[in-house]
Amino acid sequence: MSRPLSRHAGGAMTSTLDVVPRTEGRWKAREVWCAVAGVVSLALAVGAASTVAVPVASDLGLVAVLPFPFWVGVLLLNVAFVVALRGDAAGPARRLVMVWLVVVLVLVLFGTAAFVTDVPRGEVAFRHLGIADALSGAQGIDPGIDAYFNWPGFFALLATVLGATGLDPVAVALWAPVVNVGLWLVALGVLTGYLTRDPRRRWLVLWVFCLGSWQDQDYLSPQAFGFFLYLVVIALLLGPLAARAPGFPGFRGFRRADLAAWWRGRVPVESRPGLRVGALVVTLLFVAVICASHQLTPFMVLIAITALTLSGRVWPSRLPLIAVVLLTLWLVYPASAYLIGNPPLAEAGLQGATEANVLDRLSGTAGHVLVVQVRIVLTLVLWALAAAGAVRDWRRGRLDVRVAILAATPLLLFPAQLYGGEMLIRVSLFALPFVAVLACSILLPTAGSTHPAAHAAHGSTHAAAHAAHGSTHAAAHAAAHAAQDPARPSFRAAGALALACFLLAVLTVTGRFGNAQYDVFTDDEIAAVAAVHRLAPPGSSIISAAHPTPWRSEAYLEHRARTIDDMCRSDLSTATCGPLVYDFARHSPGGAVVLLTRSSEASLVLQGAGSARGLDELEEWLSAQSGVELAFSNADARVYRVTP
Amino acid sequence: MSGVSRHTVVLGLAAVALSLVTLLGLPTPLQALAAIAVLVLLPGQALTRLMPVTDFALGAMLVLALGLATLTAVSTTMFYLTVWSWQACVVTMGVITILACLARARQEAAK
Repeated sequence: MSRPLSRHAGGAMTSTLDVVPRTEGRWKAREVWCAVAGVVSLALAVGAASTVAVPVASDLGLVAVLPFPFWVGVLLLNVAFVVALRGDAAGPARRLVMVWLVVVLVLVLFGTAAFVTDVPRGEVAFRHLGIADALSGAQGIDPGIDAYFNWPGFFALLATVLGATGLDPVAVALWAPVVNVGLWLVALGVLTGYLTRDPRRRWLVLWVFCLGSWQDQDYLSPQAFGFFLYLVVIALLLGPLAARAPGFPGFRGFRRADLAAWWRGRVPVESRPGLRVGALVVTLLFVAVICASHQLTPFMVLIAITALTLSGRVWPSRLPLIAVVLLTLWLVYPASAYLIGNPPLAEAGLQGATEANVLDRLSGTAGHVLVVQVRIVLTLVLWALAAAGAVRDWRRGRLDVRVAILAATPLLLFPAQLYGGEMLIRVSLFALPFVAVLACSILLPTAGSTHPAAHAAHGSTHAAAHAAHGSTHAAAHAAAHAAQDPARPSFRAAGALALACFLLAVLTVTGRFGNAQYDVFTDDEIAAVAAVHRLAPPGSSIISAAHPTPWRSEAYLEHRARTIDDMCRSDLSTATCGPLVYDFARHSPGGAVVLLTRSSEASLVLQGAGSARGLDELEEWLSAQSGVELAFSNADARVYRVTP
Repeated sequence: MSGVSRHTVVLGLAAVALSLVTLLGLPTPLQALAAIAVLVLLPGQALTRLMPVTDFALGAMLVLALGLATLTAVSTTMFYLTVWSWQACVVTMGVITILACLARARQEAAK
C-alpha cells in the first residue's frame, strides 16, 4: 500500500516525505514475528526481574543484579522494533504492531521495579499519598502547612480518584510510572504528528523518548501530571493553534515596518475557527490547572508559549499575556503563603545551580558516582545527537525552528532556581521530547543516508545515477524501490539503529534504577514504618536517618517529620550529631520515634554523607541515652521511642 | 429532539447511569472502572465533542487531558470552598457531562 510522495503543508520539518502507514490488509510474516518477539521480550524481562532479590545489594543499582535474560529481552525488543520500523516499501509495520512494541517497552523500562517488588520505589510517592489523604480529611486548604498546600491541584485530583475508585493507594503508586509514561506518549504521539508525517520518524521519536527517560520523574507526582498537560499544550500550539509565518525579514536591514508586516502576514494553519477557539479555551484550562498543580511546570509552559509566539508560529498572539496573568494570579493569591518565605529568584545563579545540580551529585561510592556519570553521559549523548540532527536539518533547509526552540528553552530555567539540586533533571526532561525529535534526524536520516533508496529520492546520488544510466539492474531496482519509500533504512543503518537503541536502553536502566540499593524498599522496612505510625502519638515527631524513607503516607498532619541527615547535614559524627538529635527528640511535644532503616543508611553511605560504622556508633550512643527504648526491630529496621 | 446523534444520547445516559452506580458502590474492580469512566472518560469525551475534532489521535489525547484537567479543577475548587467529597465530585462531573451532551445536542439539532 503506498501513495505518491507529497509534501506536507506545514513547517520545514513537516516537509518530510509522506509515507502512509499500513493499517489494513493481511498480516505479513514479519509483522507476526515482531509481535511475537514483543511477547517473548516481555516474558523474558518480567521473568528475570521477578527473580531479583530485595534488598538490592549493589551500589550500581538494578543493572548489576538483573539476570541476563532481562538483557536478552531488551535486545530482542529493540531488534524487533527496528525490524518493524524498517518494514517494507509500504512503510513500517502496521500500527497495532508498533503500538504493541511501544507498550512492551514502557512495561519493561518503567515497570521493571514493579516486577521486582510490590512496594513503590522512592519516598516521594508515599508522601504524596499522605498529602492526598490529609487533604481529603481536612476542612479546606491551609497554605501555611507546607508548599504542597500552595499547589494542591494534583493532590485534589488524587484524593478524588482514590476515594471514588476504591483502589489501593500503594498499588496506584506502584504502577503510576507506567500510566504516566503512557499518558506522555499519547500526547507526544499527537505532538510529533504535527511535526512530521513520516510514520517511521514518529514511532522512533516515541522510542527514543522512552530510551532517554532516565530522569525518574514519572512516579505519582504533580510534576508527572504537569508534564503530561505541558505536552498537551505544546501539541495544541503546534496543531490547532499553529500559524504559518512568512519569511522572517532578517536582522540586516531590519526595519520596524518589515517586522510589523511579517507579524501581520501570519495566517492560521487550522482553517476551522471553531477548532481554533475550542483549542484556545482548553489550552487556558490546561494552563490554569498546571498553575494550580505544580511550582515549576507553569514557568516551563510560559517560556514555551512565549518563545513559540515570538517565532510567529502561534496564532493567538495574546496567549503569553493570558498565561502570565493566570500564573501571577495563582502566585499572588493561593500560593502567596509559600512565596513570602521563598522568593522565586532567591537562589538564582549559574554557579550555584551548577554546584547543586552537578558537582554535589558527583560524590559517594564508586558505583554511585559511576551511575551519576552514566546519567550525564546519556543526557550529553542525546543532546549531541540532537545538535547534530539540528545542524543536519538546517543545512538541508528542513529545520523546524519550533523544535529547536522547544529543545533549547528549558535551559533558561537552569540558573533561575536550584530546585533542590534537581533543576537539571527537570530541564533535561522538558527538553527530551524535542531532543528526541532532532536526534531522530541522525538516527533515522531520510536523506543522504547510505541506502541507495534515499540517494535516489534526492536525485543526486550514485544509485540514482546508476539507475538512470541503466548500468545495473540492482541499482535500477533500488531506485524504483526508493521512489516508493525513500525513508526506509538500509540493513546496515537498521543494524546500527538497533545497536544504538539497545545501548541507550542499557544506559537508561542503569541511570533510572541506579539508586535501587536505597530506593527499593523491603517488606521489613514497610513493616517498620507501619510500627512507627502505631507507636507515634499525635503531635510527636518522627525522625528517620535520611531520605528516602517510605513514610508519611498516612497521618501526614499529625507528626513533625525530620531526618538526621537534614539536622546534622554538616557533620554526622556521633559527638556532634548525637546530642542534636537526642535534644530535638526529647524536647518534641509528645516525644519522638526514631526510625533507622537499611535503605536510609544505604542512602547516606552511597552518597558519601556518612559511613556504616559511623551510623552504627550514632545508633549505639542514642540507644544508651535515658528515655530511649527499642520499640520495634526486624532484619532491616529498628524503631526507638524517645519519651519527652 | 430530531437530529441528535445516538452517540450523544448514549453518552448522556451513560453519565447518569454510571454516576448512580458509582455512588451506590460496586465490587472493587468494577467500582474503579465505573469511577474512572464517570470522572474522566465520559466528561472528557463529552467536552471534546463540542469541538470539531476529526483527528482520532488528537481526540483521544483531548479526552484524557480534558477529563483529568476538568476533574482537577472541580476537585480543587471544592477543596477551597470546603465542600469536597468524592461523591460531590462524581455528581458534578456527571452534571458537566450531561450539560456538554445537551450543548452538543443543540449543535446537532441546529445542523
